Amino acid sequence: MSSRWTSEALTDRLFPAARPAPFGRAQKRPRGARVPVIVVTGFLGAGKTTLVKRFLASPEGAGTAVIVNEFGEIGIDDALLRGAADRTVLLGNGCLCCAARSDLETTLQELLADARIGRVPSMARVLIETSGLADPLPILQSFVSDRGIGREMAVDLVLAVVDAVDGAAMLAAAPEARRQIAVADRVVISKRDLADTDAENAVRAAIAAINPHAGIVVAEGGELPASAWAASELPRSDFVASGARHSEGVSSFVLPFPRPVAWPAFAQAIDTLVALRGEDVLRMKGLIAVEGVTGPLVVQVVRHLVHPPVELVDWPDGDRAGRLVVIGRGLERDRVARVFDALLAL
Amino acid sequence: MTAMPRTDVPVARNFKLLSHHELDGFGGIGEGMSISLTKDGRRILWLAHESAPKNFTGVDVTDPKNPKMVVQTALPQPYMRSNSLEVSGDIMAVAYQCKEKGQTPAGMELFDISVPETPKSIGFFDASGPHSRGVHQLWFCDGEYVHMAAGAPDFESHYKGDDQFYRIIDVRNPSKPEEVGRWWMPGTRVGDSVPPPERLPGKFHGCRAHNTNVYPERPDRAYVCYVDGGMFILDISDKANPKQVGHWSNSPPYNGFMHTAVPLFDRGLMIVTDESTSDAAADWPKLIWVLDIRDESRPVPISTLPLPPVEAFANRGGRYGSHNIHENTPHPTAWKSDTIVLGTFYSAGVRAFDISNPYQPQEVGYYIPETPAGSPKGAIQLNDVFVDERGIVYTVDRFVGGLYVLEMDF
Repeated sequence: MSSRWTSEALTDRLFPAARPAPFGRAQKRPRGARVPVIVVTGFLGAGKTTLVKRFLASPEGAGTAVIVNEFGEIGIDDALLRGAADRTVLLGNGCLCCAARSDLETTLQELLADARIGRVPSMARVLIETSGLADPLPILQSFVSDRGIGREMAVDLVLAVVDAVDGAAMLAAAPEARRQIAVADRVVISKRDLADTDAENAVRAAIAAINPHAGIVVAEGGELPASAWAASELPRSDFVASGARHSEGVSSFVLPFPRPVAWPAFAQAIDTLVALRGEDVLRMKGLIAVEGVTGPLVVQVVRHLVHPPVELVDWPDGDRAGRLVVIGRGLERDRVARVFDALLAL
Repeated sequence: MTAMPRTDVPVARNFKLLSHHELDGFGGIGEGMSISLTKDGRRILWLAHESAPKNFTGVDVTDPKNPKMVVQTALPQPYMRSNSLEVSGDIMAVAYQCKEKGQTPAGMELFDISVPETPKSIGFFDASGPHSRGVHQLWFCDGEYVHMAAGAPDFESHYKGDDQFYRIIDVRNPSKPEEVGRWWMPGTRVGDSVPPPERLPGKFHGCRAHNTNVYPERPDRAYVCYVDGGMFILDISDKANPKQVGHWSNSPPYNGFMHTAVPLFDRGLMIVTDESTSDAAADWPKLIWVLDIRDESRPVPISTLPLPPVEAFANRGGRYGSHNIHENTPHPTAWKSDTIVLGTFYSAGVRAFDISNPYQPQEVGYYIPETPAGSPKGAIQLNDVFVDERGIVYTVDRFVGGLYVLEMDF
């Protein structure tokens, strides 16, 4: 992160644009010009494929290239999807989060190259449906870099699907399911029409305990509002009030940065955190005001990988206070806050 | 992934088509695109046709989703082409070039376009002569001077393709335009004290002026591309006596036809385009270059814009390679950017690049229209692009496709 800052800032000083661009051209949205990617995660039987299929058939889903990952058995999910998407790619046997990750990058690069010359239809977005057991973090890591696929594509939304009937029990029993909720931007509660109120409340409470910042959307009869597929919102500073909650070691909290920070110190704090606790940092996502930079910076971290920050043309709403959402394992808010405080004080 | 590329549907990334207008069957447009504002609040896009029979077309693009043609004019002779135009206030200058030297009318015509439905001729500058084809391109942004690539009755070149040079025309009295200055590449004119410039091997185009850009940030500079002669930076503080202050050429070993130079003043950078002039990319590579011009006497190329693979586009029909870019024309109706470059690449459509890091330009969008109905080349041939101050992108086909209006989404 720091080196990227140095390199870009020096180039900007050498060839200064009318609007200073130490982090590259200011963007109107976090993904900039990159192709948006939606990652759909959720346990086996949660109803991911039904929701994806409906989305592909909707006007909002037009132009979606779909990557489906099968695990173990024949690709039943793929058979359901094929024909619905402009392009469906079934990755080979194995879990998308491990063996097939390089397949994923190769497939996406080929899709981009083929779309560029019209060999496949133009893509409005890519949707990756993970297998039930997949840990979404390694998939997210594939996009957190300005090298390779991260230069061309950006994850706009991580959507986790949990069913209302036995979602609470699943989240209690399966650490993989909790991990999926923890890193999600938005959680869909599916099959509510099959569940009673107690079951739905239980799953809502379980989701909130793991990831209080994720928006919750309810699917009725396999239908989702179009807005459920929109890019995730940037974190809001009023989440600060929600404080830290814990669920078997996964914690989530917001650090406020009400005044513009000195970027080298802030970047050093991030670097320190990921160097010492990178394995425990699941995601960090923030909007930060930086001294000498016109627009706010979008900061994204997945485990030990720090995405090159993106400057936005302007703040997305009237809220101009910097904030950083931290989702981690065994990370305590006060200790993390002290790292930032110490470095920003220098 | 072995499917053949489809050319019957658009190929798009981060561009959205707002509208398409075939210009009533005369959809072959050259490289003149400019916007005027009418007193009743309309926005008229003026387009110079690539070849006869049409001269220029005016399209009301106030609503970019619903463009309306308001006028289309004809050339008096089938051997003429207008190719280039520029609007300044209510006056439009149109370039006239003939196929053969000695033909007439060859020069520049000035029109009052305050009523766009009825452009009124208010002046003519004659550039015809026994050794002249007339005017190929012109630049008219300050309402006072036209900078042009033109021949002249008194200018005889050693080589046929060296016939057009840089001329500065005072049009403050539009009914009586007068030349106030000229410059040509040393050695191109018969009688010069130095030998003619070396010829490029292979297909030879000539050492002659093409685009002649002058900006208010540096009114004492002209940025002139000279086809096979490279790019020249001229000091025009004394218009009667332009002086060379900088020069850069890529040819040889490249294949010449340097076309447009757009300086990015704040950044000390310049964007320079080659023109591909051969079908099937026979003259590949024709590129867009990024130059470091912090020292204008020593331009240094630092990168080229990343283009799609030549083998994917070379054989689609017609040309593939660089040509025109949006030139940040100093008009209130033109978009200005020093971090985004938009260019047209014939069969590879219009493409946009982020040059915020000029050492590593990155493609951020493209739009390749479907092959137009009746295309003589079998593929789209996007020829020029202009972006208005609202960020609406206008791009034109060289043969039949007409006007495509796009929205940027990056």
